[in-house]
Amino acid sequence: MQETLVTPTLSVLSRSSTTMQDRSSTAGQASSTGPQPSRPSVIPPPSKSKGWKSGANVRQMRRIIAEDPEWSLAIVPLLTELCIQHIVENFQNNPILKQLLPEHQQKVLNHLSPDLPLTVTANLIDDENYWRRCCMQRWPVCHVARHGGSWKRLFFERHLENLIKHFIPSTTDPAVILDLLPFCRNYVRRLRVDQFLPPVQLPLQPWNGELSDSGSEAEMEQPTGDHYQLRDLVAGLSHLEELDLVYGVKDCGMNFEWNLFLFTYQDCHSLATTIKACHTLKTFRLTRSKVDDDKARILIRSLLDHPALEELDLSHNLIGDRGARAAAKLLSHSHLRVLTLANNQVRAPGAQSLAHALAHNTNLISLNLRLNCIEDEGGQALAHALQTNKCLTTLHLGGNELSEPTATLLSQVLTVNTTLTSINLSCNHIGLDGGKQLLEGMSDNKTLLEFDLRLSDVAQESEYLIGQALCANREAARQRALNPSHFISPITAKGPENPVG
Amino acid sequence: MNPPGSLGVLEEKEEEDLSIPVLGPSIHSDNPQERIQARRLRIAARLEARRREALGEYLDGKKESEEDQSKSSKQKEESRLKLAKLLLCGTELVTNIQVATDIREIHRRVEEEEIKRQRLEKLENEVKTSQDKFDEITAKWEEGRQKRIPQDLWDVLSTQQVHCAALIEDKNKLISELQQELKTKDDQYVKDLKKQSDDICLLLERMEEQVKNVMKTFRQELSYIEKAFEIERQELLTSNKKKWERALQAHNAKELEYLMNRIKKVEDYEKQLNKQRIWDWEEYNMIKIKLEQDVQILEQQLQQMKATYQLNQEKLEYNFQVLKKRDEESTVIKSQQKRKINRLHDTLNNLRSKYAKQIKQFQEENQSLTSDYKRLVMQFKELQKAMRHFALIDDKQFREIWLMNEEEAKDLISRAFDVDRIIHTHHLGLPWTAPDFWFLRNVGPISQQQQKSATQILEEVLMQTEEEGTEEAASEAESYLDLPKQISAKTTRKILMLLCDESGFLIESKLLSLLLPLEKNECYLLKLDAIFSALGIESEDDLYKLVNFFLRYRVYHSPSSQEQTSLMSALEPGEKRDLEEQKEESLGEGEAEEKEHPPSPKLIHPNDVLKILEAFVMGLKKPRDSQAPVKLKHVRDDSKDSEYWEALTTVIPDTTQNLWDALYTALEKYHLILTQRAKLLIENNSLEQQNTELQMLLQQYLESKVGDGPSKDGRQAAKGGSGAGADIRK
Repeated sequence: MQETLVTPTLSVLSRSSTTMQDRSSTAGQASSTGPQPSRPSVIPPPSKSKGWKSGANVRQMRRIIAEDPEWSLAIVPLLTELCIQHIVENFQNNPILKQLLPEHQQKVLNHLSPDLPLTVTANLIDDENYWRRCCMQRWPVCHVARHGGSWKRLFFERHLENLIKHFIPSTTDPAVILDLLPFCRNYVRRLRVDQFLPPVQLPLQPWNGELSDSGSEAEMEQPTGDHYQLRDLVAGLSHLEELDLVYGVKDCGMNFEWNLFLFTYQDCHSLATTIKACHTLKTFRLTRSKVDDDKARILIRSLLDHPALEELDLSHNLIGDRGARAAAKLLSHSHLRVLTLANNQVRAPGAQSLAHALAHNTNLISLNLRLNCIEDEGGQALAHALQTNKCLTTLHLGGNELSEPTATLLSQVLTVNTTLTSINLSCNHIGLDGGKQLLEGMSDNKTLLEFDLRLSDVAQESEYLIGQALCANREAARQRALNPSHFISPITAKGPENPVG
Repeated sequence: MNPPGSLGVLEEKEEEDLSIPVLGPSIHSDNPQERIQARRLRIAARLEARRREALGEYLDGKKESEEDQSKSSKQKEESRLKLAKLLLCGTELVTNIQVATDIREIHRRVEEEEIKRQRLEKLENEVKTSQDKFDEITAKWEEGRQKRIPQDLWDVLSTQQVHCAALIEDKNKLISELQQELKTKDDQYVKDLKKQSDDICLLLERMEEQVKNVMKTFRQELSYIEKAFEIERQELLTSNKKKWERALQAHNAKELEYLMNRIKKVEDYEKQLNKQRIWDWEEYNMIKIKLEQDVQILEQQLQQMKATYQLNQEKLEYNFQVLKKRDEESTVIKSQQKRKINRLHDTLNNLRSKYAKQIKQFQEENQSLTSDYKRLVMQFKELQKAMRHFALIDDKQFREIWLMNEEEAKDLISRAFDVDRIIHTHHLGLPWTAPDFWFLRNVGPISQQQQKSATQILEEVLMQTEEEGTEEAASEAESYLDLPKQISAKTTRKILMLLCDESGFLIESKLLSLLLPLEKNECYLLKLDAIFSALGIESEDDLYKLVNFFLRYRVYHSPSSQEQTSLMSALEPGEKRDLEEQKEESLGEGEAEEKEHPPSPKLIHPNDVLKILEAFVMGLKKPRDSQAPVKLKHVRDDSKDSEYWEALTTVIPDTTQNLWDALYTALEKYHLILTQRAKLLIENNSLEQQNTELQMLLQQYLESKVGDGPSKDGRQAAKGGSGAGADIRK
């Protein structure tokens, strides 16, 4: 390309002088003799084709050349085009981007291959279009909205997640991931890993997995079944805000073994130190990972007094009352806003301790205890706590074996509390009387927007009426959001028109 | 606006009613039939929703007719409500599955727990029984050990074996049971997996359906909203179009009008242009013709000029020849002249010396003459002085003589009058009235009432007015000042004071400083003097003119500049009239005084004084200039002298003289008679005296026997007789 580039420019220079002379003579002729059919013969064709490139002459030349049927602008591309093409081709060895003019930069970016090594592109290119192309090439489905609307972030996050997912301890070189760190540290804000591969085992084990108790045995036998240690990586990611981990294996199919789904103590300790060291972490999720009370306590202990943590999700684990008690302690020792303990084994004592912590908490907005077994005792304790709490807006108590006493207390809460906007009591045994009491409570409430009572043995009538009240509340909330100045009743119908019109 | 709200509520009710039946069957989705039912219901609900939408549309149409304005917003509001409901129902529908699974899970858990408990119990029982059995067996071992008889031992052993076998059987049974359970659990697990996958499929299906549904309804609503907006827009467009068309029509009409006007104007202009063009063309032709004529004339002239030029050239050539010759001659003459010049130079030098000498001589002469002239001037001045002196003396002499004569004449006249009076009163018994002639009161030589200088008058005026307070009447009577009678002294004074106060700028500042210590009157006097000198007022007349001017000015209440000029013109004839009046008034004395009763000069505003003064000065200037030389030569006019004297002579008219003559003769006669009578009386008296003397003497004699008495008495009697005679003579 270098040679091809040089020659035309030189020839252009040499030709331009000749063409200048030609032009002056031809112009003179043109003006004196008028249109001549033999025009092309006057000017030799090669000189023409080169001549057009001396930009200043083009316009003056065009008047004459317009009659030339062979004339075409596309014979030789512009020099800038050629240069850009060259830059694009040699970008890997000699990345030139910042020195170019903006429009040229854009051209270069449009033509760059998405396969370029990240070492070159990571810190050099900020253009979203380029990263979009990279992403689209690698993954057919991309939800850029889940990554803050940034394609570059999406690329790096998913790239990193991919690497971690396929990391096999003691066989894969840890440098594979750590080498990437300098390039992605500024862009990765979230890590969502739903698979941690265990170390490679000898193939004599598989049949053993058939046994029902082999899981516990494997745990005993193989203390070395640790997974990838996130510590170094997380320490390097300076903007990490969200960590979403699942210690398990996907798509194992018929190779299922219990020890594939192990969250060892070693893993737990290392994870605990990792999240303790990561001060930017806002959201921590560890789901479907067989976290029992002890591991939960280890993790939560490390999270006590964390400066940034806002959301903790330990759903689909094996956490019992002790773990719940630890979580309750965490509530009073952090700025936690969302706590999810769905599908665990929390019972009444755990719920009571949570309720105790909740009673005077001013941070927690959402509490999810779905599919636990807190029963009426725990439910009542939580209801009592909600009478004093002024912060919680969302409460999920679905599938907790609650019944009428809890409903009675909750109806009292509904009349008093003005912060709750969403309650879920589905899949409980509220009963007909409980439903009526809840309806009474709802009649005095103006803030609740969602109240799920499905499959809780409530009479359809009361459920319907509760639905009505919710509708009214929703309308009022909408009015408030539209014009916060005056609180008018929602169905005056003038209300909705004013903000619209 | 209530109907739509209530409608919304109704719709919500319907929605709820519909959604609840949907919930019912879908809860326990274990049963496929139920699920089918649920789907049917859902479809029905959807149909219902569609129907309602149509209804809503219908209602929309109704509302449109009611209120066009908020159609779009209403549509939006409705759509929003509908969509919110749809979303809510959809999410409920989708989450229903989750809830169902949840409850299934709970059920499962409960069952599991129960089964677990039972199993544990069973196992514990089993352990207990097997332990018992084991204990029994171990106890039997001890028993067996004590057996020494092999038969017994064998029995024991066999029984032990049987027991052990039973124990193992039990255990095996348990194991097989548990394994059976496990198998069923496995089956159950597989079933659950299947169900879950079904659920997930259902979930996906519902979600998809929901998405589709929502998309569809959103599109529909969007289209409705768009339609509403479109209709509104159409209406707006049509209305605007109408407006626009109306405006356009008006505009067109106006345009047309303007166009017509313009065309008319253009035509007018065209006509004018044509006219102008024709006119111009004619003018152009005329000018052209004229110019051509001019050109011809000029050409002719040129020809002439050429001819004359030729002629002149020839002449000049001839002249040149002549001049050449003359030149030659002139060179000769020049040499001659040069010589002559030399000579003349000599003479010039001589003459110059002579001239210088003469200059000196004349200068001396001039000096002497100037000294002579100066002397003569001096002499002339002295002569003038002397002349003036003599004139004064003459004047004085003349005056004295005049006075003397006049006195004499007046004496005579008075005597004559006395005589006349006596004659009239005593002799004729007639009342006598003293004739009053102007000349009788004249003192000194008759003149045009010797012009008093203004200052003198001023003095008089001031003095007089000062005295006025005390003897007003007297001054009035004897005001010999010949003020024009319409002007009283008082007004004059006031005017003058005003003038003095207002025109202080005319007085020099030095004078003002000098005036400070002086008395008020003197001060005024000096000030006025200065002012008059500045104004150019010298004589009495001028002063009166000024005063008059002031008064007249005041008569014209607000004198504008035009009136002032008219005043000035009025000034000239006014002078003469003043003089006439003066005469009349001098005779009429008191009657004429303040006939017109001039309004007090207070009415003259001080601010007007300057204007008046200016006007006055402007008016006064002209006559002054012409009069100036006349005044210098004040020649005494003696035309009236003879008249005067004549008048003096004829002060006693002829009639009285005749009367006197007659009276004289009569009185002479009467005198004669009286003298006779006197003589007689004297005689009588003397006789009476003699008689009385004699009587006296007689009486003396009679009374006094003394003798000496009669001598004295005789003398006394003689004396008394002489005295009586003298008395009679008198």
